[in-house]
Amino acid sequence: MINNFLKLVKNEFTLMLRGSVFTIVLYSLLLIAASIFSLALRHVSFDIEIAIAFLWVIIFFISLIKVEKVYATDFSEPKLQQYILSPFALEIVVFLKNIMIYFNLLFLFIIFSPIILIILGIQLSYLLPINILLALSLLSIIFISSMTASITISKNNKLSITSVLTLPLFIPILIFSMALTDVVDFQLNKMYLFFVAYFLLNLAFSPLLTSFALKKLSV
Amino acid sequence: MIEIKNLSFARGNNLIFQNVSFRVKPNELMVLKGANGQGKTTLLSNIVNFLEPLEGDILYHGKSIDSHTASHCFLYIGENNFAYDNLSLNENIKYWLAVHNVNFSQEIRDKSIKFLFNELNLNLKFYQLSYGQKKKLQLLLLMLVNKPVWILDDPFNGLDKNTVKKITTLLSKKVENNGLIIISSHQDVSIPNHKIFQLK
Repeated sequence: MINNFLKLVKNEFTLMLRGSVFTIVLYSLLLIAASIFSLALRHVSFDIEIAIAFLWVIIFFISLIKVEKVYATDFSEPKLQQYILSPFALEIVVFLKNIMIYFNLLFLFIIFSPIILIILGIQLSYLLPINILLALSLLSIIFISSMTASITISKNNKLSITSVLTLPLFIPILIFSMALTDVVDFQLNKMYLFFVAYFLLNLAFSPLLTSFALKKLSV
Repeated sequence: MIEIKNLSFARGNNLIFQNVSFRVKPNELMVLKGANGQGKTTLLSNIVNFLEPLEGDILYHGKSIDSHTASHCFLYIGENNFAYDNLSLNENIKYWLAVHNVNFSQEIRDKSIKFLFNELNLNLKFYQLSYGQKKKLQLLLLMLVNKPVWILDDPFNGLDKNTVKKITTLLSKKVENNGLIIISSHQDVSIPNHKIFQLK
């Protein structure tokens, strides 16, 4: 069982690598959006907080789109049927997919981030704190997004609207992330703890609720 | 033994089938027949516990089928393909055998692959394969996943005569080895002593 679990992890990693093209496209769109943002405000001097807030909002949407895309393909009905009949619990598959999405988004952000910061006029000294902030908040965003995606990909279109019920779960992340943009000096020890705690909370119930929704709504 | 008692299923206000009852014992193969829309696929989905019936019971060895029983005893091959298009055939085989926790030696696996695919290049991406070749990947699971009950939705659809013959051999051997099989099919099945249930 452990041997096959490790094979599953390896195969999910391969799938994640093959899915990188879509993430690169999304980050390329981010570069374009950042360029438009900077060009549009070229005659206005804006604070670093505005640039970070802009970056954060775009990353938030990129994460939602990526999770939605992966769930729509990887949890199509025939695949889901096989996962449900697998000796591995569906919660484990959901967890693995979420973690792979996380590494995919984070790794490519780390590569793209110096260019993005330069375009947005953010000093490169903020590179490390911004990456750490993203690494911590992205975990919760992806696990919450997975719940949203599991409802929106349901067979019943009318039910998809109920996915908005999961949106309040993003609020703590949004509030704290926006608060972070006020803390430009990044003295963030307590903030970091919040993100870790909120992720652990999500980790406890998100795979359960996601797999429950997948089983009930998509088969 | 799988026993279906007075099973009815509805989607919304649309009644798909009503009062369906039959039994299938080990060493038996049951073929579900019926016109399109009569609920063959839906009935199979009910048996595997993907869908909940409106009323009636589905029993496996006298007990209701829950998700644990389904995942440990049932192998389900549906009409649509479950493989990943952006993985090669070989990667898909490894992935889905891992998902089903199958541990076979490389030799047995290679023999099974050769039995179904002959000289096909296993490094081809899945989207490069024909419908019939894609379907064979699903059927490879039949050879390697060891579960007592097979539930197959139209397994012969889109396959050439030679592959249909191979699948028929696989089904016959499974039945001989105490297996229990329920399939839906529009085609006639050339397996001796199979039962037919007509959905109306």
